[in-house]
This record gives sequence, structure tokens and C-alpha cells, in this order.
Amino acid sequence: SITSSKAVVVADPDDDLTREVAFYDQALEAAVLGRERIKKEGGVFQRPDDYFAEMIKTDDHMAKIRQRLLDENASIQASERAKAQRDLKKFGKKVQTEKRLEREKAKADALDKIQALKKKRQGNDNTTKADDDFDVALASDDDEMKAYKTAGKGGVNQNNKRSAPSSAESRGKRVKKDQKFGFGGKKRHGKSNTADSSADVSGFSVKRNKSTSFKSGHKAAKGGAKGAKGGAKQRPGKSRRQSGPSRH
Amino acid sequence: MSTVFKAQKSRKDKADGVVEKSTEDKSVFRNKQRVLLLSSRGITFRHRHLLTDLGDLLPHTKKDAKLDSKSKLHIINELAELNNCNNCIFFEVRKRQDLYMWLSKTPNGPSVKFHIQNIHTMEELKMTGNCLKGSRHILSFDKNFESTPHWMLMKELFTQVFGIPKTARRIKPFVDHVISFSIVDNRVWFRNYQITEKPLEHRSATDTTDLTLVEIGPRFVMNPIRVFDGSFGGQTAFENPEFVSPNVARSNIKNAKAGRYKSRMDAIAKKDEKLKGAEMPEDPLSENNVFA
Repeated sequence: SITSSKAVVVADPDDDLTREVAFYDQALEAAVLGRERIKKEGGVFQRPDDYFAEMIKTDDHMAKIRQRLLDENASIQASERAKAQRDLKKFGKKVQTEKRLEREKAKADALDKIQALKKKRQGNDNTTKADDDFDVALASDDDEMKAYKTAGKGGVNQNNKRSAPSSAESRGKRVKKDQKFGFGGKKRHGKSNTADSSADVSGFSVKRNKSTSFKSGHKAAKGGAKGAKGGAKQRPGKSRRQSGPSRH
Repeated sequence: MSTVFKAQKSRKDKADGVVEKSTEDKSVFRNKQRVLLLSSRGITFRHRHLLTDLGDLLPHTKKDAKLDSKSKLHIINELAELNNCNNCIFFEVRKRQDLYMWLSKTPNGPSVKFHIQNIHTMEELKMTGNCLKGSRHILSFDKNFESTPHWMLMKELFTQVFGIPKTARRIKPFVDHVISFSIVDNRVWFRNYQITEKPLEHRSATDTTDLTLVEIGPRFVMNPIRVFDGSFGGQTAFENPEFVSPNVARSNIKNAKAGRYKSRMDAIAKKDEKLKGAEMPEDPLSENNVFA
């Protein structure tokens, strides 16, 4: 074989990286020189790609090596993704708390303003209610008033939700729920009768009341469930009723 | 006669471009080296794998059975004679821990004894290269080998033992890999790299050539102990003054540990003595004497 002794090795103590780099450089130089010499003497240097012969390491072994490299790569990528997720979450949380504090502060300031105005009003005029003069006295395009108006419980605007794409069903459902549980206005006496609702006779139909089939006392047929009433308009279930008239 | 015939036949079979005409004069140097690979008894798995790796790398070797005795090494000369080998690599394992490697030119040539450390065999998954089994290699030596005569001698020995002759039987025609010997910290570091040619598109700006090296094979560190005049014996031609035998190294560590305990005990004894010497006679005005 050909030997070449050009390179000088740097004197390292235990520094692995520089030492290996020095060995690599030495061997590379030797390889280059060796290739020239072999080509000059007419020998064959590199094996062609279709030359299959027994290798020093078996194919199984090389497969193990390859698998190990792939696993390493996969684990690195997984850990990077997890790290990115964690950072994103931290950032999002920070932004959320900042916004919340901002809104609460604005709300508190607005309330202070209202109190101040109330005091002023009470000093001057005892007959008018503070509620009626609310909108007139306080400028409603003030930043704090805007925040106060949009802020719900905890400073979060309850209508301002990050949501999935809304379908007709969810929109109607949301609207209904807001009307029932949302904010703004009295909801407490929704099921109590008012003058209008007691005078409303649209739910009564003489024909229906007069029909005798399937009244109480008539034995129901076997398996005659709700769907067997016939003639009477089928009333939708509770959830469908609650989700509002927008459901098809 | 048979060797001449064999030489002619092998020359015909070779895929090498170099053709030595048989009609030329006999002064053409025919490099006929054969290496006997041996080990002593008590060899561990790592050393055994290293031995087989060397056997795979060097196709002009012949593996032989384990040698029983560790003292009468001169019988290796006869074994080599029997096997028609003129070099020998002998792994001597002591205490099932320390590996010593003998490299010698068997009939009466010089021999070197090394202590081998930091063994990584070819099995390790971090070495990703591969090469043809029995392909010839390029030997690369560090420039430090030219500095002193004992290094030069070792370089010559490495060349003859690790260099594959063209007429070896099990060789493959291509040159796949390069074996490098470097001297760092007064030791010889052995590395084996696979040579790959990089295609144009993968080359980066800092590359000077189109060759890259990937580490294949075993890696170990040889610490020379002695160079002998004869094979497995004889006069010492060179002795490494910096060599610390592994037994001595281990005992140093143990003594250091024992030394700590010993020094602590000494300090305690000294303190006792000091306190004893510092005792004074009882003072007549002390509390004990006044208030009985």
C-alpha cells in the first residue's frame, strides 16, 4: 500500500474534537495523494456502484446504524416541536393576562367616573335617576366607557370568543344561550306570565281539543310511542326547541 | 517452485491495472507478507472482536488458535514458521483487563510491545462507514513518525504488517478505505476511514476535494512499551520512559484513596497530642476550687 506522511499532528491533550479533526485532515490528505499515485500507476480507485461483494459490515448491521440515525433525528425534531409549543403557550398566556388586566382597569376607571357623576348629580338634582342620564352625561366613545360596556364578568368580553367556524346550528344555539344567560337585560321572569302572554290564545286550537283519538283512557297500542299520536303536530325535543328556530 | 507458480497465477487473476510481466528480471520486489493473528487465553469479548476486526481488515492474515502460555512466547516463532507467515500480531490479555499487543517480524526481526487503550470495535453504531471486505487500503502516517529512530522503526513495522501486498489471496480490486496512524501524547492513534467521492451537488464552499471520509472501523490507541531486537524477546532496543503500567496506575489510585483516610487519622492523632500538651495545672482561683 501507499503511505504518505505529509501532515503534522497538532499536539492536543484530551480535546476530542480538535484531535479527531486533525486525524481526519491527515487521512484526507493521504487519500488525495494516494488516489493520484494509484491513478498514475494505472490502478483502479473507486468501486463502481454496481459492484456487489462482501462488505466488512453486514447489511443487517448497516440497517441498524441507519435505524439509529433515523431515531436520533426523530427525537430531535419531536423535542424541538414540544419546545416550540411550550414557548407559544407561554407567550399566549402572557398576552391573555395583559389584556385581562387592561380591561379590568378600564372597567374600574369607568365605574369611578360613574360614581363621581352620581355624586355630582345627587348633589344637584334628586328627582332624576342616574340610569336615565347615564348615556347623556358620560361620553360613550370614551375608551374606558367602551371597555366597561364590552367587559363582562372578569373583564372578558363574553361575545368575543375564539371559536370554530360557526354553523347555522351553533349560531342559533349561541344566540339563544346569550339571550338566556348572556348579559344585558332582565332574564329573570322569562317564564312568568305577562298581560300579553295570558291574553295570547294562539296555542289553543278548538279542533285539536275536540279530537278524541288517543286521549287519556284509550289504551295505547303496543309500542305506541310518541310517534303514534297521529294528526297532532309532532313537537320537537327539548334540545331542538332550545337551540332556536334557526335549526332546519 | 510452487510459490512462483502461485505468483504467476495470482498475477493473472488480479483485476489490477498494474501487470508485472513474468518475463522481466527477478529483481522486481515481490512483497510477500503474511501475518499470523494470535491471542492468549483469557481474552474478553471486546478484545476478541477487535482481533476479528483486524482479521477482516487485513486479508493477508491467518488466524490461529489461542496460545496457552504467556511466558514462553518464543514458540510463536515456530507457529509462524508452520503457517508460512513472516509477521505476527499477538494479543496478550492480562488479568482479563489489560490488552497488550505484540507486533513482530517472526523469524528474527524486531518486535514491539504496545499497551492498547480506548478500544472501539466496528460493531459500534456510531461508526457509519463500510467498505469491501479485503479491499486494499491507503496507509497514512503522521509526520512525527520521521522524528526519532524508534518511531521510524515502528512506522516500517506498521507498513509491513498492515500493508496488504498485491499478491494476497483474498483481496478485492478497489481501494476503499484509508488507515491512519497518528502520534499524539506519545501514543499511536489508529483510525480507519471509508473514502467516498462526493458528487458535485453536495459539495459545499469549504471543501477542497471531492473526497469525504466516513469512519468505519475499529479505533484504538497504542502505547509503546518496549522495542526488542529479536522476535518476542532479545535485547531491548528502545524503552518508553513515560509508560506507566496499568497495574501501577491502579495501585496509585488505590493508594490515593487510602492516603486520604490515613492523612485524616494522622491529623486526629496530632490534634490529640496538641491538646494534651496544652493542658495547664489547675488554677486555685477557678470556680471548682473556690466554690467546692
